[in-house]
Amino acid sequence: MDSNHQSNYKLNKTEKKFLRKQIKARHTLLRHEGIETVSYATQSLVVANGGLGNSVSRSQLLPALEKCGLVDALLMPPNKPYSFVRYRTADEAKKAYITLNGKEIVDDLGQKIILYLNFVEKAQWKELGLQALPPGLMVVEEIISSEDEKMLLESVNWTEDMDNQNVQKSLKHRRVKHFGYEFHYENNNVDKDKPLPGGLPDIWDSILEKWLKEGLIKHKPDQLTVNQYEPGHGIPAHIDTHSAFEDEIVSLSLGSEIVMDFKHPDGVTVPVMLPRRSLLVMTGESRYLWTHGITPRKFDTVQASKGHKSGIITSDVGDLTLSKRGIRTSFTLRKVRQTPCNCSYPVVCDSQMKATPPSFPGSAREASQLEQEYVHRVYEEIAGHFSSTRHTPWPRVVDFLKALPSGSLVADVGCGNGKYLGINKELYMIGYDRSQNLVDICRERHFQAVIGDALAVPLRSGSCDACISIAVIHHFSTAERRVAALRELVRLLRPGGTALIYVWAMEQEYNKKKSKYLRENRISQGKEEISSGAVVPESLTEQVPDVGNQDAAGCVAAITDLQEGGGHASTVTKAKLPVHTNRTSFHSQDLLVPWHHHGKPGKDKAVGAAGPRDPGPVFHRYYHVFCEGELEAACQTLGHVRLLQSYYDQGNWSINNNKAKPEKLQMPTAVE
Amino acid sequence: MKLLTHNLLSSHVRGVGPRGFPLRLQATEVRINPVEFNPDFVARMIPKVEWAALLEAADTLHLVEVPKGPIEGYEHDEKFLRQMHHVLLEVRTGPSLASLATAG
Repeated sequence: MDSNHQSNYKLNKTEKKFLRKQIKARHTLLRHEGIETVSYATQSLVVANGGLGNSVSRSQLLPALEKCGLVDALLMPPNKPYSFVRYRTADEAKKAYITLNGKEIVDDLGQKIILYLNFVEKAQWKELGLQALPPGLMVVEEIISSEDEKMLLESVNWTEDMDNQNVQKSLKHRRVKHFGYEFHYENNNVDKDKPLPGGLPDIWDSILEKWLKEGLIKHKPDQLTVNQYEPGHGIPAHIDTHSAFEDEIVSLSLGSEIVMDFKHPDGVTVPVMLPRRSLLVMTGESRYLWTHGITPRKFDTVQASKGHKSGIITSDVGDLTLSKRGIRTSFTLRKVRQTPCNCSYPVVCDSQMKATPPSFPGSAREASQLEQEYVHRVYEEIAGHFSSTRHTPWPRVVDFLKALPSGSLVADVGCGNGKYLGINKELYMIGYDRSQNLVDICRERHFQAVIGDALAVPLRSGSCDACISIAVIHHFSTAERRVAALRELVRLLRPGGTALIYVWAMEQEYNKKKSKYLRENRISQGKEEISSGAVVPESLTEQVPDVGNQDAAGCVAAITDLQEGGGHASTVTKAKLPVHTNRTSFHSQDLLVPWHHHGKPGKDKAVGAAGPRDPGPVFHRYYHVFCEGELEAACQTLGHVRLLQSYYDQGNWSINNNKAKPEKLQMPTAVE
Repeated sequence: MKLLTHNLLSSHVRGVGPRGFPLRLQATEVRINPVEFNPDFVARMIPKVEWAALLEAADTLHLVEVPKGPIEGYEHDEKFLRQMHHVLLEVRTGPSLASLATAG
């Protein structure tokens, strides 16, 4: 590009095209990242297309930049498709702007990338505070020699006991092998009465003796799980089951380094580098309270400077680069517990939680605690996977939104991943969800979304032309709270405004037709579990979808209760909440529904009958499924509300309510 | 978050203001994201604006050219609508406001 911007010679075709692309890059940055470019020369430039987020590493970009002048700093924010460079002088930056604009470089995947540079006022990135390793965590480097590494890797026979089909299928997920005791992924536990013959392979005797003597471990493990991760494989965040294993859990990383993410229930995430041939030791809080997991991807963001090896990957964007993953084999050694766990972290302890199984709440406080454990915590954990299984908007909800007049203000209470927030561009939609992670997903998609509770929505009364609440209210565990949520929706509406509410129906078969939930029952063969958003039961036969007398009576009681003004909840027996089997009909109105969590959800959708089990944790979500007429009855307890429509839609009960203008009378409408 | 969203929010958190409204903004976290101008859309938003809160927000963020209130015939006043479009839909505040306390 010509250095004299003032010259008025005509730009040729290539130059024109390039200029268009540069302007487009500038607009994209402005629009999506809030990065403002300036047209005059400064010391700092933003390099669009040259970032860690699009596989350009520091080692590729820095040399090219250094050719143009003295580089003060190169900031490469993680996961972003751009970087910032600051030169010592504006003249040097100008040289880079002229020389490097439109320059082709090759990224880490071998693809050609064109860089676009623009001046910025300041090269800035917010830096987070220093983090510490989770308490009880230790990484010991170079604990194994290269020879021993080779020997251990070769000692694992992956293909025994597997037929051809399974070998092929195993390429989709990480491979696992167990010694000492078999680990069962259905319940994330071992069968303590059935140890595997042979115990741990002999080669481990000397290694473990050495570690015991050196004080690296305190107990001799009797269970070994070998995991092999190809680039792109991961494991979802989880805590190793308390009742299964003793405190100390150690994991040897061979073949390749990797970054493992540790997450505290408060939301703090600490990425930890596990170098090749290092031993990860998890005890105490890091074993019992923090989750650990590996993101399924082919590159990790790591420290660039040579001094760093193991330890936390800091957020210092001046020192980050990409590291391509290799095949990593981990050997995780644990000692099986023979007594119930008695740790100091009861909320996440299956032994201690079993002593008090979740039951129907008898008070508002119990209800709130139940929802915290079996709704909010779960959605935070599964947000990413959940979002990937929620992509198809339901047609009748779409119809409702599309029928609203242009310029309507609409609140989506319990918006989840924002599925409905972009349906009608003529509306101003604000999404609310209790889950930070789900709200973050909405904001990534550039929707207006705010963290909020459906019982107290942070939105001005009477401001909404319409509200939607799709598959939300069934997560409230008492009738009072469900009605309170409905009342909130009405509060938000201006007089004349409409609300659309969907809840899961008790009746999964209606008018002799089975809902999609029941119909999408992929038959499984033998003991294999199908991985999908909701898991298929292990039996081959479908259960008869019959709402028995007992359940019907329960429904009638629920409706009568509402009509009589509630207060019945406290006299309902504190029955244990049953765990539902997915894809079958409901036998109780209040239940826990399993969610099988997968780290790499996209790939699992098309898995056929004989697919391999993808090992992952199970979460239980609380639901109160509604009987026919129950939702209507709940709405009728509210004042100033007129029922417009009431219908059954694919296993859900739905109502469409209108907030009456003060002078209108309430008029009931026939059920569809 | 767009300023229009901020304007519509109310909070049940104590100490945030009378009637729990409006929320405090920080001047350091402002960005401008261009949005296509749709005069009809903006005109429909005007009646929903709580002007006192908007002006306070504009003041905190050091915004200029902010109308003080709806003017006569605003629906057809392009200058007014463009100014409101910019203030309500293009000015963005930082993500810190996304974390609102929830009901007990």
